[in-house]
Amino acid sequence: MSKASRSDTIRGKVAVIGIGMSPTGKVPGKSPLALSADASLKAIRDAGLTKLDVDGVLCSHAFASPFHRFSVALSEYMGIAPTFSNTLQVSGATAATMFNVGAAAIVGGLVDTVLVVGGDCLLTGLTPDLALRSMTESRDQQYEMPFGIPPANTFAMTVHRHMKEFGTTPEHLAQVAVTSRQHASRTPGAQQTKPISIDEVLSSPMVTTPYHRFDCSLISDGAAAFVLVSAERAKALEIKRPIYILGAGECYTHEHLFLMPSLTTTGAVESSRRAYAMAGYGADEMDVAGIYDCFTGTLIMMIEDLGFCRKGEGGPFVADGQMTFGGKVPINTHGGLLSFAHPGMPGSLFHFHEVIQQLRGDCGPRQVAEAQLGLVHSLGAGFATNATTVFGTENAL
Amino acid sequence: MITFEEAMKKPLPSPDADTAPLWAGLRDGKLLLQHCTKCRHIQFYQQQLCRKCGSEELERKAASGEGTVHSFSVVHRAPGPAFKNDVPYAVLLVELAEGPRMISTYTGGSPEEVTFDMKVRLVLEKVSDEITLPRFGRA
Repeated sequence: MSKASRSDTIRGKVAVIGIGMSPTGKVPGKSPLALSADASLKAIRDAGLTKLDVDGVLCSHAFASPFHRFSVALSEYMGIAPTFSNTLQVSGATAATMFNVGAAAIVGGLVDTVLVVGGDCLLTGLTPDLALRSMTESRDQQYEMPFGIPPANTFAMTVHRHMKEFGTTPEHLAQVAVTSRQHASRTPGAQQTKPISIDEVLSSPMVTTPYHRFDCSLISDGAAAFVLVSAERAKALEIKRPIYILGAGECYTHEHLFLMPSLTTTGAVESSRRAYAMAGYGADEMDVAGIYDCFTGTLIMMIEDLGFCRKGEGGPFVADGQMTFGGKVPINTHGGLLSFAHPGMPGSLFHFHEVIQQLRGDCGPRQVAEAQLGLVHSLGAGFATNATTVFGTENAL
Repeated sequence: MITFEEAMKKPLPSPDADTAPLWAGLRDGKLLLQHCTKCRHIQFYQQQLCRKCGSEELERKAASGEGTVHSFSVVHRAPGPAFKNDVPYAVLLVELAEGPRMISTYTGGSPEEVTFDMKVRLVLEKVSDEITLPRFGRA
């Protein structure tokens, strides 16, 4: 994409000016709406605004909530009447699409101040009915569920083939869990902070091969929220450290695993290609990254597809210490879904929260020095949905 | 509401407008694939038009039943109470000899014997008057 055609996009035209997070991990007694409102009000306060300044609300769906129109229910709960609203659903990639839809709506003049928020309580908030439903209805009812497919299974089969084709080992997978846990130990509020070893991962109970229990992400409660405005409005509001959306790309290659074009190369190749082209920056220039890590192998495959290393070299990349501080690019410095928290759809929003906080320079002992460019990749449904976002500071515009 | 008794039952497909012929075929002993008469594309997932060229002229033909294991995962932790007594079992991504892939499970042997690219053959298992599931065993 040339510089001229980039100017027709959302690049640099929208800024994140507020971020907020509810308590995360095990948070009993809070509904998805309560958690979402908590994160939202913190983000609005962080932006120096009041709830009445918000005229757009975008949400992900909350599993432990009966509201289909979650964004509308949340607006009512918070006592606001926005003029732009939607509840989006492309599984784990929903996080990124909320930023994309919000940014496009701001640039298109539909809305001035967009609240992006997701909250759920999968750990303490599921009724027995919803818990059973989540187990029995998670995959295609005609073609997959009759065979007893756990949610982990689609991700397990993709990485299993990756191991066969490229020699990725169980130890490589385990290293991702170990590094994520090290990262979480420096993050206030992380759900799991006790150090683990590769041996402990490999000796944890098998869930579905090749994934052991510690290769799987957590189940959590929590919410995160963000306030988006135009770059001009951020300036007028005299926001100290606006973080700009520089690039965005999405890709949807299939719905069913058996129609996935390749088990080992995903739609993340195309979504990231588009995001880098819009941003005018490549993988090598990213200072920090937040990458969806529902399972350890998911992260290894994404490191390759996002261009941080060559195809098939994701395992050695993590074993070599390249995904942590001092390596090629620190990934999931908060601990990710594997160790920080994974309340379902909002899980990826914590990656956004972390990368934006890194670019603001607010990460304290886990701060990546002078981070100016950050990538977030979110995905879902066994790699059916992929979305990449590139953020930058004022210096990176 | 899902009751516990309902959750103990294995989920069975409810044939719909797109899938009814597939399930009727399985009941009659055939795994039906859709062959496009215009572009010769072959698809397993049943729909009203060819995914490649968009033609609605699709012909259903029985698959040979032969395939290979493209990938697999042995389930040790069951997805709900209905599958608890079955673990460990191997979920397969089978590549049919005709080209399309499908999800199934391994039958007629230990899940530990499943390997990548192993040759498998269709085994039809009747689970109700209406539904017969396509599983695969060692060829």
